[in-house]
Amino acid sequence: MSRILADIAYVRSGDKGDTATIGVIARTPEDYPRIKRSVTEEKVRELFGDWVKGRITIFEMDNIESVVVYMEAALGGGATRTLRLDQTGKALGNAILRLPVDRDNA
Amino acid sequence: MKDVIRLGSGSGFWGDAIDPAEESLRKGKLDYLCMDYLAELTMALLQRMKMKNPEAGYIPDLIDHMRSLLPLARESGTRIICNGGGVNPRAAGEQLRILADELGFTGLRIAVVEGDDMVERMDQLVESGESLINMESGEDGFSNLRERVVAANVYTDSSGIRQALAEGADVVVTGRVSDNALYVGPIMHEFGWSHDEAHADLIGSAITAGHIVECASACSGGMSSCFDEMPQMGMVGFPIVEFSRDGSFVVTKPEETGGKVNSFTVKEHLVYEIADPANYIMPDGIADFTALTLEDLGNDRVRVSGVRGKGVPERLKLVIGYQDGWIGEGMVMFPWPRAYERAVKARQTLTERFERLGLVADDILFSFVGLDTLHGPATKDTEIPDLNEIGLRVAAKTSSRSEADKIRRACTQLWIMGPGGSAFGTPTKPRPVVAVWPTLIDHAAVTQSVTLLEV
Repeated sequence: MSRILADIAYVRSGDKGDTATIGVIARTPEDYPRIKRSVTEEKVRELFGDWVKGRITIFEMDNIESVVVYMEAALGGGATRTLRLDQTGKALGNAILRLPVDRDNA
Repeated sequence: MKDVIRLGSGSGFWGDAIDPAEESLRKGKLDYLCMDYLAELTMALLQRMKMKNPEAGYIPDLIDHMRSLLPLARESGTRIICNGGGVNPRAAGEQLRILADELGFTGLRIAVVEGDDMVERMDQLVESGESLINMESGEDGFSNLRERVVAANVYTDSSGIRQALAEGADVVVTGRVSDNALYVGPIMHEFGWSHDEAHADLIGSAITAGHIVECASACSGGMSSCFDEMPQMGMVGFPIVEFSRDGSFVVTKPEETGGKVNSFTVKEHLVYEIADPANYIMPDGIADFTALTLEDLGNDRVRVSGVRGKGVPERLKLVIGYQDGWIGEGMVMFPWPRAYERAVKARQTLTERFERLGLVADDILFSFVGLDTLHGPATKDTEIPDLNEIGLRVAAKTSSRSEADKIRRACTQLWIMGPGGSAFGTPTKPRPVVAVWPTLIDHAAVTQSVTLLEV
């Protein structure tokens, strides 16, 4: 059965200037390795297309079974000058839940 | 000497509710109530208010808030620390003094912390050799926007707050002190910690506590992905930190309030708006979140321990706000049947109008409200059914107000030029853009000062 990240993760996102930050939290400890495999720079870049113009970095937090996706030049110029309705990227992060879950190796 | 101090979060932004802060003062046995009001956009708005009136520039709601909080704080013996002074903490302090006088609070000490406002010192900074390179984009073009600067504030550390508390302040009102320092200040003050290696982990832990609670209800059920499990959010309790001398702390909230505090709600905020979690950089130090442990104690209590710290960063963040043109925007709603087709036609008509009106814009963004406004290109291509309704939103960035106003005019003209059934709210006026230029400057360039006002 193919699943998407929305089945195994929760998200909280926000902004720092023109950078969008997305915290992705595993629903269960078993989901965490799947999240790490599924959230890669390539897949995130492909998902957001031309809305993300800068570097994408993914930080892992094994202790709380979460990853942080840090996307630079990703908010159309930042909260005060973007043309987007979602000025601070609060809604943007949920889009990452559309990514397919990478299948277990087993 | 206390081994545990109790700090309540009283505000997460300008616009937050004040009743949860009142409730925390009544029920929370707080030593401190810490209130954050500021954000990048807020600083620019306050600066504009001050340009019109030199006596303005602090959070306009601050005095009303204190009118309700001061009597409660006096009763519970709680000291209040807030950054609601905005770009004019001195004026805010003076207004608070008048208020305290009015309330008959003889002996109340109000401390004003200043020193973050660099707007008058920009040329001096450049002359002293600061490059003011944009720390996000790496651009080196500050001189091009020098004439358009409207605000420049340093995220300062807790030293001014600590001095104010040491001098016996009951209320501390600051400018752009970092949100985080509102919590780190009283913790360092109470335990007598200084910025040395021996205290690096402890201060790292105080920074982490500040990070978790500084957005108030964002760690007690607000903004939650599990929103349907959060009871009575309209009566949410704001978080309280019980901070121990050993650096561990418990996050909780007043009893019989809405929302929840559990390890999930704390996690949700730990991951919020951070870069490298092993190096969370604040003016008072660098915290490492990657070794900490969360423990659910039940009854809305979560214990946090094991935070590491890495000492004080060499540079401080300076955020420069500058005028950067205008934004015009508009939105129109379309009804079933064939709502999407109506919206597509309206987009075509607007594009023709922009051409006819000779619109000069740096950038134009169209989006379909209900389809792709929030996720843009990440929105899956799906077959669009015959929707009940859909919106068309357009926004454009221009260099002048008159150009931005063409968006409003073109949208209004759709009243009759547009497809049948087009529905409008009130047309939106153009708004000026204050863009931000974040940079780093030397710690030594910033000196905070404390003024005590006694009633």
